[in-house]
Amino acid sequence: MAERLRASRCPRCRRIVVPPASLCPDHPVKMEAAALPPLGEVVTFTTLHSPPEGFRAPLHIALVELEGGARLFCHGAATEGVKIGSRVSVEAVDSVFYFSNIGFADRARLFWRRAGARGERVAAIGKSVVKGVFNRRPRGQD
Amino acid sequence: MTRFGRRDENLPDLMAEAALAAMSDAGIERPDALVVAAMNPEEFTGEGNFGSLIATRLGLSTVPSVRVETATSSGVAAVYAAFAEISAGLHRSVLVVGGEKMTHLPTPRVSEIIGRSIDPHEKSYGTTMPALAGLITRAAMQRRGLGLREISQVAVKNHAHGARNPYAHFREPVALEAVMESRLVADPLRLFHCCPISDGGAALLLTAERRMVRIAGIGQGADSIAVRYRSDLTSFRATQAAAEAAYRMAGFGPARVDIAEIHDAFAPFELISLEDTGLVPPGKSGRATLDGETAIGGRLPVNTSGGLKARGHPLAATGISQLVELCWQLRGTAEGRQVSARVGLAQSIGGLATNNWVTLVEAVR
Repeated sequence: MAERLRASRCPRCRRIVVPPASLCPDHPVKMEAAALPPLGEVVTFTTLHSPPEGFRAPLHIALVELEGGARLFCHGAATEGVKIGSRVSVEAVDSVFYFSNIGFADRARLFWRRAGARGERVAAIGKSVVKGVFNRRPRGQD
Repeated sequence: MTRFGRRDENLPDLMAEAALAAMSDAGIERPDALVVAAMNPEEFTGEGNFGSLIATRLGLSTVPSVRVETATSSGVAAVYAAFAEISAGLHRSVLVVGGEKMTHLPTPRVSEIIGRSIDPHEKSYGTTMPALAGLITRAAMQRRGLGLREISQVAVKNHAHGARNPYAHFREPVALEAVMESRLVADPLRLFHCCPISDGGAALLLTAERRMVRIAGIGQGADSIAVRYRSDLTSFRATQAAAEAAYRMAGFGPARVDIAEIHDAFAPFELISLEDTGLVPPGKSGRATLDGETAIGGRLPVNTSGGLKARGHPLAATGISQLVELCWQLRGTAEGRQVSARVGLAQSIGGLATNNWVTLVEAVR
């Protein structure tokens, strides 16, 4: 499992942003350092066919929402099979975020590792499977 | 305003053409003050100290001037500043002139300069304005159930309107199939969903005197420059706040609006904006467009000028040109595309909806 992602949290409104910012976007209040598990859901994505200088076409860009609500921009190797609501893992390489699709088995493993007591583990795997099935249908999510 | 499109004149000449036409139309040779809008003349044409440059070019070198900038909505920001100067009693008449000159540069360079209005972190991922619009379009298609057909019909309608406007950049109609089959720019956004790169200038003369058209309400709305900080991608908070402020100032709501100029830099933005301004009920803008409700002859003609899509988008001229079109419509001088209207609404988007404006204009009886 990839490393946790560096983030920052507003001590006043608890908002979390990635990458860390010095002040909260909603108040002129200094944010505190935080870290988030590198797992999230695709909010939306696009493929750019004439990217700006310094990037190769096709350029896949996704906006991913991490657990906790922080959203971040990511690059990806492909968007094939990616849908709005797809579960992805995010990795930072040289401070650039990359997303990759995670399958059923990976998801179950991740939940297994994160879950504590046995009951929670089973519930987590169940949730993961349900989520996988649910993700095949269009969802009212943005 | 000038004809929009590929123009050979330099930026001060284009802005002077627009300004002199507005001054002559108003019968005012020497306004008390000048508000100038240009998004980025420093980069596009290498011109600086822009307020004084334009004032001097206009033969108004001793008239006080300021320059205003809010990215792609700079034109209306200048109108707002002039409106505030007059409302505060600082001046009786203020000339507002905006313009941009871009077509002399290669397209990637123009995109790069416009792209500087994006959050630097997000820009470092290769995001451009079309990329951000592509992200929003995909979310809107999923969440609002918008289809490629509805989005494409916006471009078809606005091209049909532009064909009737002698000031428009594009004067040829386009077929729905041509729009739907044009090449992908930022999936699912296609080339014919995007506005062109245009040159041009536009001007208005605002005065404290009673004239044929008055500004009934004007409002500004803001949102984070970082798209990742927003929780809602399929409506623009900045438009909603601007509309609320404009309606509050005017003392009436969207039901009174007969005609609208909407910032369709990307075709789906017209659909989103019609709902954000309350002109069309939530979820109905796609259907209304397919049914011709927003075409000339429909219930609520939208972008009779051709919009950004067909009239063109010389950045800081655009917001002003929307109000010029509404003035002409309310005065009954929009030859070839005249509709019957008493109240008009203009909506302008700055950056990726970080600094938006809604203006309500009304014919004075």
